[in-house]
Amino acid sequence: MPRPLKISRHGSHDIAMEWDTGRETVYPARFLRLACPCAQCQDEMTGKRLITDSALPILTYPTKIEPVGRYAVQVHWSDNHSTGIFTWEYLWELADELDKRREKAALS
Amino acid sequence: MLNQEQALDALRLVVEPGLQRDIVALGFVQELKVSDGRVAFELQTVRPGEAAEKLKREAEDKLKAAGAEAVAIELTGRARGNPVGDGQGSLPGVRNIIPIASGKGGVGKSTVSANLAVALRQTGARVGLLDADIYGPSIPTIMGARQGPQLQGQQIIPPVLHGVAMCSTGFFLNPDQAVMWRGPMLSKMVDELFRRVIWGELDYLIVDLPPGTGDVQITMCQRIALTGAVIVTTPQPVAVQVAEKAVIMFQQLKTPLLGVVENMAYFESAKTGEREYIFGSGGADALAGHWDIPVLGRIPLATNLRESSDAGAPIVVSNPDSPAAKGFADAAAQLIAAVSVRNLNAEKPVEINF
Repeated sequence: MPRPLKISRHGSHDIAMEWDTGRETVYPARFLRLACPCAQCQDEMTGKRLITDSALPILTYPTKIEPVGRYAVQVHWSDNHSTGIFTWEYLWELADELDKRREKAALS
Repeated sequence: MLNQEQALDALRLVVEPGLQRDIVALGFVQELKVSDGRVAFELQTVRPGEAAEKLKREAEDKLKAAGAEAVAIELTGRARGNPVGDGQGSLPGVRNIIPIASGKGGVGKSTVSANLAVALRQTGARVGLLDADIYGPSIPTIMGARQGPQLQGQQIIPPVLHGVAMCSTGFFLNPDQAVMWRGPMLSKMVDELFRRVIWGELDYLIVDLPPGTGDVQITMCQRIALTGAVIVTTPQPVAVQVAEKAVIMFQQLKTPLLGVVENMAYFESAKTGEREYIFGSGGADALAGHWDIPVLGRIPLATNLRESSDAGAPIVVSNPDSPAAKGFADAAAQLIAAVSVRNLNAEKPVEINF
């Protein structure tokens, strides 16, 4: 399983990750907030997203990022939400999804 | 002229007898410098005394046989620490935090924890023991604690028993009260115990966990930078099956597994010396083989082991020549090796600048 070596700020609000594979990913703040895996933001049984774009303040950004054990980070958000634990595995999946979106955007 | 690679090759021929691995693989060779046929390095053994001297002589011989003109070896005997960044769940001064877990209760986890801690201490290491088994804290009894910790404001000064600094959740609970707590309370208790106890400098902090895979275990793996966990099981399939759940939990929480200790492995008759496998055999081997983790040791069932636990003098102290005590000493040596190898290969912690 790939793991990150560095997590830092990109621009004013976005999150940049440097992986041990050499991959670099920039997660837009709002994208990551909407992908929060906690039980308030996602139905635990069905996986259905409970958090909606329109429910978030226009400006939503991380205020603090803390390590969780050897496998994840906990992100504190400007909308006072902090229960989501982003595992390396999940962040890797999200990186793939971001790449796909960016590719699509580039083609269209 | 001898080069770095050749020097390492020569040192690979030196095998630590107790651990059955060469000193390069064990990470004992540090700060190796080779120039003009002269070799100098730091030999970080884990067992001081005669064993270390013997390794040093053997390393000298092998290097000279390989063509070294002069050899300078500095012996150091401290445990290598778990590499973690500040604020990432490390405790100041504590090099390795090792939880002892079991799936099933009643497999002798606390007895194993206490004896491993004291056996580690007997190798010359600095050791602490934290009893986090809130439901049935039995470490104070096993270690013979007659008084609790001293409190200095917010700080807890643990008593030292058999050379081991010890703190227990039992000190802070009413003995005639059962613990019926929900998750958040348990997490808070674990956090407080870790942060408020003044451990001083430790090579190893052994943590006796409650049985199972609940809040205490998860909180520890999330908040505390653990070196790796040790699983205790008996040979019985029913215990092994539940131990497997603990293994899976640690894997999911990305906590390394250092090894398995098989308790109640067999009963040896004091009269005839005959071994009886009361709980069957092969349990730890099956677990170790399936999950690719080493068996650190096998501890026999013994009346004097039970008696010493009840009397507050761990058997490695009260009866050091007994088969059970020797089993613990071997397991401690294997644990030291597993920690050393693990820390050598440990990934660097993630750097967060946000």
